[in-house]
Amino acid sequence: MFIKLALRNVRRSAKDYLVYFVTMTVVVALMFAFNSLLFSRDIQELLQEAGIMIAMLGLATFFIVIIIAWLINYVMRFILEKRSREFGIYLLLGMENRQIAHLYMRENMFLGAAAFLTGLVFGMLAQQILMAVLYSMILMEYRLNVEINRQCVIMTALCYAGCYLLALLRCKRKLKKMNINGLMNAERQNEEVRESHEEMKQWLLPLSVVFLALFGVWLFCWKAWDSIIILAFLVGLILVIYLFYTGLSAWIICYVRHEGKAVYSGQNLFLLRQFASKIKTMRFTMGTLTALFVVAFLGCSIAMMFNFYQDHMLAQKMPFDVQLHSRYVENDFAAELAAIEKTVPVEEVYPYYIYTNGTNQMNLWLYTHLRAFGDLYRNEDGSPDLSSIVHEGMNTYCKYDTYMGLSDYNHLRGMLGYDAVSLADQNYAIHMKDRVFRETGDFSDQLFIEGTDGQLACAGYYTEPFSQDGQNGGDYVIVVPDAQIAQMQPYYAELVVDIAGKAPDHLKAEIDAASEAARNSLALGSHHTRTLDIGGNSCCGSDMIMVWGFDNLVRDNVVKEMKCMLLSLIFPLIYIGLVFLCVALTVLSIQQLSDSAKYQFRYNVLKQIGMDSREVAGLVWKQLALFYLCPALFAVVISGIIAGYVGGNFNFYSGTKTPSWLYFGISFLLFFGVYSIYFAVTYIGFLRNLEAGR
Amino acid sequence: MLEVKELVKSYGTGKNQHKVLRGVNFTIHKGEFVAVMGPSGSGKTTLLDCISRYKPFEGGEVLLNGKDLGRLNEKEMAKVRNQEVGFVFQDFMLLDGLTVFENVCVPQVIRAEAYQEMEKKAAQLLQLFDISQIGEKYPSEISGGQKQRAAVARALINDPLMILADEPTGALDSKAAETLLETFQKLNETKRATIFMVTHDAFSASYCSRILFLKDGRIFHELVRGKKGRREFLNNILDVLSMTGGDSNVH
Repeated sequence: MFIKLALRNVRRSAKDYLVYFVTMTVVVALMFAFNSLLFSRDIQELLQEAGIMIAMLGLATFFIVIIIAWLINYVMRFILEKRSREFGIYLLLGMENRQIAHLYMRENMFLGAAAFLTGLVFGMLAQQILMAVLYSMILMEYRLNVEINRQCVIMTALCYAGCYLLALLRCKRKLKKMNINGLMNAERQNEEVRESHEEMKQWLLPLSVVFLALFGVWLFCWKAWDSIIILAFLVGLILVIYLFYTGLSAWIICYVRHEGKAVYSGQNLFLLRQFASKIKTMRFTMGTLTALFVVAFLGCSIAMMFNFYQDHMLAQKMPFDVQLHSRYVENDFAAELAAIEKTVPVEEVYPYYIYTNGTNQMNLWLYTHLRAFGDLYRNEDGSPDLSSIVHEGMNTYCKYDTYMGLSDYNHLRGMLGYDAVSLADQNYAIHMKDRVFRETGDFSDQLFIEGTDGQLACAGYYTEPFSQDGQNGGDYVIVVPDAQIAQMQPYYAELVVDIAGKAPDHLKAEIDAASEAARNSLALGSHHTRTLDIGGNSCCGSDMIMVWGFDNLVRDNVVKEMKCMLLSLIFPLIYIGLVFLCVALTVLSIQQLSDSAKYQFRYNVLKQIGMDSREVAGLVWKQLALFYLCPALFAVVISGIIAGYVGGNFNFYSGTKTPSWLYFGISFLLFFGVYSIYFAVTYIGFLRNLEAGR
Repeated sequence: MLEVKELVKSYGTGKNQHKVLRGVNFTIHKGEFVAVMGPSGSGKTTLLDCISRYKPFEGGEVLLNGKDLGRLNEKEMAKVRNQEVGFVFQDFMLLDGLTVFENVCVPQVIRAEAYQEMEKKAAQLLQLFDISQIGEKYPSEISGGQKQRAAVARALINDPLMILADEPTGALDSKAAETLLETFQKLNETKRATIFMVTHDAFSASYCSRILFLKDGRIFHELVRGKKGRREFLNNILDVLSMTGGDSNVH
């Protein structure tokens, strides 16, 4: 009979808390879909660096379990309060606290189990959608393949059970402390009107606004950052997120008390009083919801940034089909070329050198002027700190400046479809990454490039994609006429290959194996000897987002690999964003729907006084809109400030030109899409409850 | 059966403390039908809450068949509520999600009785209170009078030592109230059920065999019906009430 009672209560609860049930189903579906990425054989074959995806998803799952446990705990406490009278009756009839706790736990486990099983079914659909999206993002075709991995189901079940256990344990302690009197009066607790010190508390509202303004100024304008200031602002931000609502509620109460102009206009009296009391009672929850919304917004915005990066920047970093690099200038790449020709049709092969004249003024200028390095390589007087530069461990630039002959340069330009460039004998040009040039502008007046007959003059800058992460120089290469290059020493060797069609997935592996074999044969003392050992001829450029140290680059293979790595970031961020969003909206929805019983009485009174049904529906809409919009708009402001700053810096360091508001704008649209669905469901449910109560 | 000795109960603390019960003493014997009456705020409901340990009390004793209820732990008190005392409230306190039949069965479920036994007892009680035909209906589908009779059936299913009723006719119309009171009277006369009722309604109180009048936190007067008719007894009650200047409600 207890089980029957529990099941009966579950059926009743499932109807009242449908939004919660649907959210838990969605959460299980998402958990299953994302967890399946970890166990998918297809993904493991696709991603050589699957460990990164596993780590990131694991981290995301950790945070999600905590938030879901909070949601379950919140809803369980909420249901407990709503049903406190019922539990009081159980106690009056002689049930022990322990028995009630077991009954309630059982109800929640039935509800949870139902949500889990339903979620698994939807999870299989979500899994297919996710795989299709992932494959399309890495430009591969996906064939439907429903994979029900037992380990994935177990992991999802364990994560879900973990959320429930955490929540149930907390609730059980509360249940054991129940007493009849407390339970019978639990619902009445918030009816007591307690307004104290509102005149003082209202100042928290403008103070919060001022803090946010200061926060924005600090983010965008402050140059000197240290850990204490960062910590202070973060703590302040968290406090403001919660104190804002105390201030808002007090401000509204004071406004109504002082009979502000708008108070008696339309339905504002009713709206303002309701809103203020709701915010006051729920200020901690509202603060937490705002925090969840901020994380969701930012997660989605950052995911958008990386998505834009992978769509626009990756291919630009490697414009050539295949590019090989060797520190040894004598290397003829014969082994690697043989491996390529064996695997794929070759259209053109072009070997060339990068040269040096033993100077490094370009490198020194970049080390001391690029924002990415700050003051790291500068003395106090602004001169280069040579010892720091020498001991710089990142190999951003080679030891010496890198040069290229004009004929090699024009040939490579021709292979990429760019127009040829002409240079007079005493001129030079700089081919530089677009991102770097946008920061430096023309600085040729600070360079002294020595030629055979005196100083060379700068003829211009070129910024088309040119593979400058250590291949055609790190960030830049100085192009000089062939006569000038003849006086310089070869620094390292490069080979570019144009292939027909797309590179097969294993091409890079084949080339790497060939390089390894060639290196081993060198070690065993073959006929190749090194006649030139300048050293310091490997570099990677100043890119901050994506850097690689491959000698052999196959664009199709590497881009795919890099996209997979970026997806390891993008997917977990979207996952967290979606789940946090759904959790926060569920709390808002449940609050309003559960209060609809209380509001029935109020709205019935209004109807009796003369408000018609249409006006009531409008009032309900405004009430819900206020309640829903408040935490969302506050979150938009906070996350807008942060996303604007992060987006601007992301563009700066990655080279993307997307306006930073676009990243935020897209996540804003996604956010309000989901938001609108929850709002619509809540609005319809609320009106239905009012109708049922008449 | 029930002995209350020097019961003291206050609300609030410090300067705002308000003593509601100031040393209440009375005894109820087995088979009695007793009411406690008094003006609003006299502590009638508080008295019942303290007896049932719904609220704690600061001083005195409440003995049920010699057992000091104030000294029992939660588990023991739960057993008393389930097996030795039955409750009937003004607002019925039925569980919305259960049918009338299931509501009546709940105390037996808590006691972990076998289903057949439970079913037999519930069916008998539904028959006794003339609500068999609504056994499968939910509380929202039946009238107030039917709800209260279902609540009384629930209170009796575990054959308690006594029934505690708090304004049981408060939410009923006069006809339903009369029916309920006649039911109580029948139970008292035929089954020697011990009933302790809180009421402010003189008409309801007139069905009892003894009435305790509560004023200023103490029992200040007692009326025993004896062999008087109900009308005469009602007049006696009204006389006492007019002396105290308390609430009276006569149908």
